[in-house]
Amino acid sequence: MAKSIFLQSDNRKMHAGWLLLLLLCFIVQPFDSFANTSESRGIPSAAVLNPAAELWRDVRQREQLTNGTSQVKGVDSGVLINAYGDQWRKFRMQQLIPVGGYLLLGIVIGLALFYLIRGKVAIEGGESDKKLLRYTSYEQLIHWFIASIFLFLAISGLIILFGRPVLIPIMGKEAFSVIASACKEGHNLMGPLFLVALILIFIKFVRRNIYQKGDLSWLLRGGGIIGKKHVPSNFFNMGEKTMFWMLVLVGSVIIASGFVLIFPVFGLGREWMELAHVGHAIGAILVIGVIIGHIYIGTIGMEGAIEGMKTGYCDLNWAKEHHDLWATKAEQQGEVISNDKVSRLRDVSSAQSLGGHVQEE
Amino acid sequence: MSEKFEQGVQALRQQIDARISSYFSSCVHCGLCAEACLFYTETNNPRFTPIHKLEPMKKLWRREYTFWGKLGAAFGLGQSLTEDDFAEWETLVYDSCTLCGRCSMICPVGNDITYMIRKQREGFSVAGYAPDGMKEATRRALKIGSPMGVTYKTLKAALAHVEKDTGMTIPVDKQGADYMTLFSSMEIVNFPEYIESIARIFDAAGVSWTISSKAFEATNSGIQIGNKEAAAELVNRVVIAAEKLGIKTVISPECGHAYTAIRWEGPNLIGRKYPFEVIHILELLDQLKKEGRLQLEYKDSIPMTLHDPCQIVRRGGVVKQPRDLLNSVAEHFTEMKDHGVMNWCCGGGGGVSANERAEPLRLQVFNRKKSQLDELGVNTLVTACANCRIILEEGLEHNEMDTEVISLTELIADHLVKDESNA
Amino acid sequence: MGQFIDGPLWTFSLSVFVLGVIWRVVTILIAGNRSDLATAKGSAGKGAIRTVFSRFVPERTVATRGRIQLIAGYLFHLGLLALLFFAKPHVDFIAERITGLSWSAMPHWAFIVSAEAAFIGLILLWLHRVLNPVTRLLSDLDDHVGSILVFLVMLTGCLALAQAFEPLRLIHLLLAELLLIYFPFSKLMHAFTFVMSRGYTGATMGRKGINA
Repeated sequence: MAKSIFLQSDNRKMHAGWLLLLLLCFIVQPFDSFANTSESRGIPSAAVLNPAAELWRDVRQREQLTNGTSQVKGVDSGVLINAYGDQWRKFRMQQLIPVGGYLLLGIVIGLALFYLIRGKVAIEGGESDKKLLRYTSYEQLIHWFIASIFLFLAISGLIILFGRPVLIPIMGKEAFSVIASACKEGHNLMGPLFLVALILIFIKFVRRNIYQKGDLSWLLRGGGIIGKKHVPSNFFNMGEKTMFWMLVLVGSVIIASGFVLIFPVFGLGREWMELAHVGHAIGAILVIGVIIGHIYIGTIGMEGAIEGMKTGYCDLNWAKEHHDLWATKAEQQGEVISNDKVSRLRDVSSAQSLGGHVQEE
Repeated sequence: MSEKFEQGVQALRQQIDARISSYFSSCVHCGLCAEACLFYTETNNPRFTPIHKLEPMKKLWRREYTFWGKLGAAFGLGQSLTEDDFAEWETLVYDSCTLCGRCSMICPVGNDITYMIRKQREGFSVAGYAPDGMKEATRRALKIGSPMGVTYKTLKAALAHVEKDTGMTIPVDKQGADYMTLFSSMEIVNFPEYIESIARIFDAAGVSWTISSKAFEATNSGIQIGNKEAAAELVNRVVIAAEKLGIKTVISPECGHAYTAIRWEGPNLIGRKYPFEVIHILELLDQLKKEGRLQLEYKDSIPMTLHDPCQIVRRGGVVKQPRDLLNSVAEHFTEMKDHGVMNWCCGGGGGVSANERAEPLRLQVFNRKKSQLDELGVNTLVTACANCRIILEEGLEHNEMDTEVISLTELIADHLVKDESNA
Repeated sequence: MGQFIDGPLWTFSLSVFVLGVIWRVVTILIAGNRSDLATAKGSAGKGAIRTVFSRFVPERTVATRGRIQLIAGYLFHLGLLALLFFAKPHVDFIAERITGLSWSAMPHWAFIVSAEAAFIGLILLWLHRVLNPVTRLLSDLDDHVGSILVFLVMLTGCLALAQAFEPLRLIHLLLAELLLIYFPFSKLMHAFTFVMSRGYTGATMGRKGINA
């Protein structure tokens, strides 16, 4: 087997990978020289005197990656000590966890402050007595499908990432080891479901998320949440569309890196795993941050926003205020239905199994 | 609580047998039966979900047959069946179910939902919660002999008319005939061509047959409203008449529920086996054709399609015969996408056609048939049930469609080899 | 606590399950059906057997209008059955505690596929139950308790997959025991009674000469 060729090309890929990683880090926050920290560079002066220093240096492969030969056939079997491993560990402990943690905390605090200042965005005209069909039951179904899987993965993932600094001090190491094991197994098993859910979401919603004329003006005018004036928007506004594309693109990175992490069967070496982990974590933190905002708008941030996903129907006034272009078009096409009809189609009247009346047309 | 209500609950209780217990135990509320029901598909009203129409019976079953129900009852908790339930469910049970049986064909756990609704009606009718139209029809059937008030006098007039037209003598009360034929009132009043058709067919095929002046009515309002006493009485009239005349086989006419009544429910209603056989007219025609006693000439070239009457096909088992018969007289017979045992109901079965207040809903759900016909693009609809025929004609007229509805038996009669050429 | 879950509670729940299921089936049987006096056109027995199996094949109405329930239903049921009887820890457990018989477990990849399928199916089915107007109208507490209990049993089973922590195994076992106890008193009984329901319907239809 042409093992050396394989490993060489692997190395080249790996270097490109590090470059990508650096770029990713740059997106989150400019870190100073994380790949070449003085600590890992610094050679204790005593080592010079040590006759084994030369050997040790070779073994650590500090200068460059070299591959030895081994009877053991397998990925990374020629590497004695991976020098990048420590860099990855340091990055995780010293940059990823604190920065990521504060970023998410910052988002939550920011939203709380925003809520205190701005309060719930109300439907200005109040609720009307008419509704528009916003999401079919299939669309609601796949939304809540991806939502439930996302929540599970986000929570279990955050526990895995932040468990050491946050949970161990609270519950102790023994209890945390149980929870960490559970989260790891659950996270790995549920992970692939996110791919299924994302594909379903992508197929169903991609057409409505293609950027259109007018989307930019929505952005320039702050999406209407800042300030009092509402800005015209299509079925989805620029913010929603951007969230969609971010979920799809960053989500793909998360899924791909996740597969590398769960199934170490693709012949990828340790460096790839480290890279996958960093990509997975940074991507996930970004998406979780955005989804926190999404959940904020859906729950306490805006009146009427969640109705479409809860019932399939949204209030006509809400639609006019937030998705004006779509609402106007739907109104012209005669798609407006009365609240009465909606409650008949959804049979709201008989939450208890017996009760209500048969409606005849 | 009225005494009638108590009797109704008691009647309902008596219906709960092993089948119904296992059906309620198995139902996981998956909601698929809604997708098979034209009352749901055409209105999107979730209350028209077939299994939801059984909520009163389920309530009783849960209360008296399940662990949680009995536990609740012991502590005075939980709900028991009330008269309000009957009042509220009456329209669901009678107006929005034609007992067509389509839901029973697709239920993943195999529940015969139609059977349960038929049984639930027993309780409703005893408690007095049944539509006036059906109550009246049942009263007339018991008193006069026909739900539409048709007497033997009316039939005699119709028969005289046929005799005049054809020059044949129609055998009435002929002792020892092989076959005794029944009619539905609808045929006597609206489609006397049917009587003429079978007279000509039997004459051509040399069938020994007769009509009983005592029991010529085939329809059975009792099984529609869900009153087993009334149903048994109506079946019994036929049985007595057939026994008196020494009949070998009773012929059920082109009427859907009449076949279910006399063929499948009858012996169970009167509690004994018949000393004669019961055959549907289509089965007999098919049999005669196969024996070579039915000589048919030429095939129609106009495209035709078949509307399967639920009670004859899906609930009756006469599936192949109408197809073979139609193929022998039609060159271009095309099936609708859903056909045979999965055909869609006309919307007027199970007593709905006798229930005036259900008419708007019935016309709304006719859209199912309309879209089936639109999809196929065939303008001649053959069927084998007088009730379907009336309902189809009304629906087509309401939708201003120019589809022609014809009876399969009449179509066969039209293709009989003429006497002259036979001789 | 661990000993209790592993010992007496397990014996108790298994007994409740077995006796309860038998009791339920017997109660249905003794309610009895009146014998059909109408002359049969076809065989009731054949019809019953045919329907028991033919209902596994979806009719077009189900395959089109009900395809979410169809797909999710199959994913869930097949995944769950595979997990229940062929997951390695289950095979060992059944051999050790119940039958003494052992059969070959499925490979790890098949386990993963089954688990994914079962989770997709169950989550979709339950969401469909709460979102679709028809199923929301029909559903009662029992339906939700059953779904959620099964979900929790599956979830805790997956969380215990490392098989390294006793508490995780015990939580899974405890929930499974609760499920066993709940089973005979609930809709979960359909796992057994569906054969009876299909059989009764099939027999009636078989007598009439209809393939149902």
